[in-house]
Order: sequence, then C-alpha cells, then structure tokens
Amino acid sequence: MELMRVENVTKTFGTTQAVKDISFSIGEGRCVALLGPNGAGKTTTIRMLTGLLKPTSGQIRFAGANEADAFRASIGYLPQTPPLYGWMNGLEFLVHCGRASGMTAKAATTAAKELLVRVGLEQAGKRRVGGYSGGMKQRLGLAQALIHKPRLIVLDEPVSALDPVGRREVLELLRELKRETTVLFSTHVLPDAEELCDDVIIVAAGKVAVQGALPDIRREHQQPVLELQTDGSALAMSWVDRWLAAQAGKSYVVEGTRTADGFRLVVSDVPAAQRDLLQALAEADIAVRRMEFGHTSLEDLFMKAVASQ
Amino acid sequence: MTGPDKMAGSALAADRPASKLTSPLVRWWVLYRKEMLESLRSFKLLWMPLVFILIGAMQPVMLHMLPDLLASAGSLPESVLHEIPRPQAFEVLAQTLGQYDTMGALITALAFMAVVSGERASGTAALMLTKPISAAAFITSKWAGLLTITMLSFSAGYAAAWYYTYVLFGAVGAGKFLGSLLLYGLWLVFIGTCTLLFGSLLKSGAAAAFAALGTAAVLSIVSSLYTEQLAWSPGRLPSYASALLTGGDPGSAAAGAAAFTVVCLIAACAGAVAALRTKPSVD
Ligand SMILES: Nc1ncnc2c1ncn2[C@@H]1O[C@H](COP(=O)(O)OP(=O)(O)O)[C@@H](O)[C@H]1O
Ligand SMILES: [Mg+2]
Repeated sequence: MELMRVENVTKTFGTTQAVKDISFSIGEGRCVALLGPNGAGKTTTIRMLTGLLKPTSGQIRFAGANEADAFRASIGYLPQTPPLYGWMNGLEFLVHCGRASGMTAKAATTAAKELLVRVGLEQAGKRRVGGYSGGMKQRLGLAQALIHKPRLIVLDEPVSALDPVGRREVLELLRELKRETTVLFSTHVLPDAEELCDDVIIVAAGKVAVQGALPDIRREHQQPVLELQTDGSALAMSWVDRWLAAQAGKSYVVEGTRTADGFRLVVSDVPAAQRDLLQALAEADIAVRRMEFGHTSLEDLFMKAVASQ
Repeated sequence: MTGPDKMAGSALAADRPASKLTSPLVRWWVLYRKEMLESLRSFKLLWMPLVFILIGAMQPVMLHMLPDLLASAGSLPESVLHEIPRPQAFEVLAQTLGQYDTMGALITALAFMAVVSGERASGTAALMLTKPISAAAFITSKWAGLLTITMLSFSAGYAAAWYYTYVLFGAVGAGKFLGSLLLYGLWLVFIGTCTLLFGSLLKSGAAAAFAALGTAAVLSIVSSLYTEQLAWSPGRLPSYASALLTGGDPGSAAAGAAAFTVVCLIAACAGAVAALRTKPSVD
C-alpha cells in the first residue's frame, strides 16, 4: 500500500536546480532511506514532502488525508538540526508540540511523559532544553516528531551530527520505530541506510540514481568481481600492468582497476574469466597470494552512482 | 506552505481513522499561551512594564522637583526661579507622552525584534508550520502577545504618570486619560507590528528593529510636515494623543488616523503571514 507518491518533482532556486524530476513512492509500513552525498538535494526533497517548500513542478500525493491540517497532523518531521525552544523544559516542549499538532492537553501530557521515558530523557524532562547535549536534543527532536502518532515520520539526517554513542542511541530508537510506523530518513552514510531500511532511494546531484527494495537492488546491481593479489614483486606487477593494458581484447572484463599488489575486475562471465586468467597466470609463472571471486557491494553501487553524476 | 494533492486511485493506503484534531482556535490559544509564557520566563513581562512605569513616573516627579533642583544648583537668581511657571496637570501628562516618543518606541522595537526573526533563524517557525498550524495562526498569536504586552506595559506606565500627576499637580479627567492612552498605545502597537513584519522579511532581529524604528521616525517627521495631507497617518497619533490632553479636540482626524492605523496593522500582519509562508526559515 502506498502512503506517499512523489511524481516528477523538480525544485529550482533561482538558477540552481536542486531537485531534478524525481519520482518515488513510500509504501505504508516501510522504512525508506534517502541516500546521497552532501548537496544531492535530500533536504530540499524532504522540505517539499513536509509541505515547507512548494515544488517548482510535479506533484506530491499523500494517501488518506487530503485536507491540509489533517495531512500535517499525519506527518512528523525532524529537521537536520532539531529546532527547540531552549527556554522550555523537555516535558513542556513535547506537550507544546503535541498540542500544536492537535492533541488535547491531557493526551499530549500522557504521550509526552511516555516518550520522555522511551527516548531516555526521563530525568532530563524537568531541565531546560537549552542545556541539553547534542544527542539529547536529537532525541527530544525525535520525540517531538512522534508525539501525535503520525502515519509518516520524516527525518533529515537524524544521526549525521552525532558522536558514535549518540548515533547508536538514535539508530536503536529508529529500529524500534520502524516497526510501528512508516519512516523516511535521509543520510549520506551508506551503512546507516543498510542497517535500518527496507527501501533505498539513492540521489545524486538532484536526481534519483537508483531506487528500490534493498535486497532487489543488491540482486539487480551486483556484478561478479574477481580480485587478484600477487606477491607484489616487480615481475608480478609488470605482468599486472601488461595484462590490464591488454584487457580490451578480453570481452568478459567490464571494468578493471589496479590495486597495490594486483587488480580488481568486474566481470560479466565468471567461467571465461577464470579460465583465461588461470591460464595466463600459469604461463607467466606469477606468484599468487590470493584470488577471490565475489560480488560488487552496495558501496560500489553508491560510489558509482555518485561519481557518474 | 502547500497542502498535499488529493491522492488518486483506491489502491492506496486504507484510511486509518484519523484521530480528531482539536479546533484551530484551541491550537491558536496554545500558541498565544506559549508567547505569554516565554515573555514571563524571559522577564519581558516584568522589565517592560517596569521601564514604562519608570519613564511615566519620572516626568511628573522631575517637573515637580525642578524649581528645587535649580535652586540648589544655585545658578539662577532667586527672582528668575519664582517666575518659572508651574505647569498645569494636563501639560505634565502631555510632556510624559513626549518622553515615550523615543524611549517607548525603542523599547517596543527591541522587545519584539526577536519574536518572529528568532524563530525563523532557529528553525522553530518552520517546524511549527509543518504541524497543523497555519502561518496566519503563527503570526496572529505572536501579534496578540505583542498587543497584550505592549498595552499592559504602556497602560501601567501611563497610569503611573497619571497618578503622580494627580498627586503632585492635580487631576486630569479620566476621559482624556483613556482617550490619549488608546491613541498613544495604538502608535506603540503600530511600531511593534512593524517590527513583527520586518522580522518576517529580514534575516536578523536587529535589522528588523532598526527598520521598524526607521519607519516610525520617517512617518512621524513626514506627517508632522504635512499635517493636512497626512492627517490620517499613524505618525500623527502621538500628536493627537497630546492634543486630546491639552484641550484641543483632534476629533475626526484622530478617529481617521486610528482607523487607518488599524488597517495598516491588518496589512502588516497579512504581509508578515505571506513572508513567513514563502520563507519560513533563514538560509
Ligand atoms: N534556499 C536555497 N536557495 C538556493 N539554493 C539552495 C537552497 N536550498 C538548497 N539549495 C541548493 O540545492 C542543492 C541541494 O541542497 P540540499 O537539498 O540541502 O542538499 P542535501 O540536503 O542533500 O545536502 C545545493 O546545491 C544547495 O546549494
Ligand atoms: Mg541536507
């Protein structure tokens, strides 16, 4: 079931096209990562999803709530730096956000107290938010996005600014959260996306490079890789260079890169590669330390998607 | 702010019964209460009335003590001292209003310079607008806070002036007092509202205060030069307030200026709403 659908959305600031004709959809109950390097257009996209920015062209549709207030009550948003009222205490801030989201005073207070416990701010709830650490602010920001039980939670780089401990805490909270509701979060770190999400949307330079369910993407985009490690001697390395230079004649090589003591090949035909390479190694009498057949990782895909833009 | 487009097709998420929202009025009240609580916590609700009271009480007391002060300074001959006329009660009150012209305007602009611009800079304004809070509710709740605090502070200060004038110089009629209070208070609210508007348009709070004070100064000067043509200008309000005290009857011109100022306030709030909607955050 689709909760949100983004269709051919473009956003232009003056002459810069921050987002170029992107389309994707968010299934209900899914955890979706918007993955891309800095400046890819993640924040701009998220601001359009939350209604803060109007797309230059294209449409954003949300299932269920058509009326503006009902829509806004259905989403929870945590911007890149959590905006908080420093003069309130943690509990007051959550209650205020809950009431601003249309909750009654009683419901907001109950929910706020529960959430403070859940995000580990039970003790800090009575202290001024202005004195919180970065990790505490982020957790309070997260609680603020959850208090009205939204159908979709949108988080902009929720862990990027945190130290390893704070990062771990927030990631664990997200892991719990994604079981309860639909989550979309942006990140520029692949492991965060791999760790939590069901779907990834890789964006680079304002465009969607790759998108889909994580296992599907792995399956569709992974290619066999052959890694060779020699003893690193001059003899071996000159053979490596010669072999790579002559790769044009070897149709099974998709991409070859020299490493410190060997090479790494992305290949299309594993048996052909194996046959040809073993024969060549035997003929040249090269000392092999390691030879391994594997697959390209998501990291390779991400780097390629980012580099090709 | 944009709403979502209606989602076409029925293959989409089944409607989960949306829990009922509180009414927009309740949500507005939540925002207004937050403004007042913030003013209380930041002591604005304390220092602003205090400063206004100080200014208001000082003028009658100073005028009362003036002959004694001059005598003790000993720089003027006895005969001249006796010739200094003792001002009438209504004159004292009018002079007090004159004290608010600069200090009152400055305090009002400084007190409200961060109200919108601070929230735009910190991102809380944008955050609130992603909740079921309209830009209009956001601005008007702040404006209502401004109205409350400004009128409270000015009334307290002006009442102090009225009281000391009564004690030291004699009574000024309640009608004159109230009429001038409303006219002058409207002028201060106008300055505060300008600060709100510029706070929604400009990046920094200081720039907003500066722009609001500049607007007020230009309006006062220009409307004092063209009193006939600009009879309805908000810049004439302070003159009408003191005219009311000193016996002149500003009458229809004052009513016109008050009405036109209210129109300006509405337009400024509408401008602030539009500005916030297009640029809810500073970056
Ligand atoms: N308000 C704006 N005005 C002009 N350019 C902007 C604005 N917001 C973002 N951009 C530009 O759009 C591009 C994408 O920015 P952003 O969405 O913040 O990327 P990300 O969040 O992925 O790092 C950047 O080149 C940025 O400079
Ligand atoms: Mg960003």
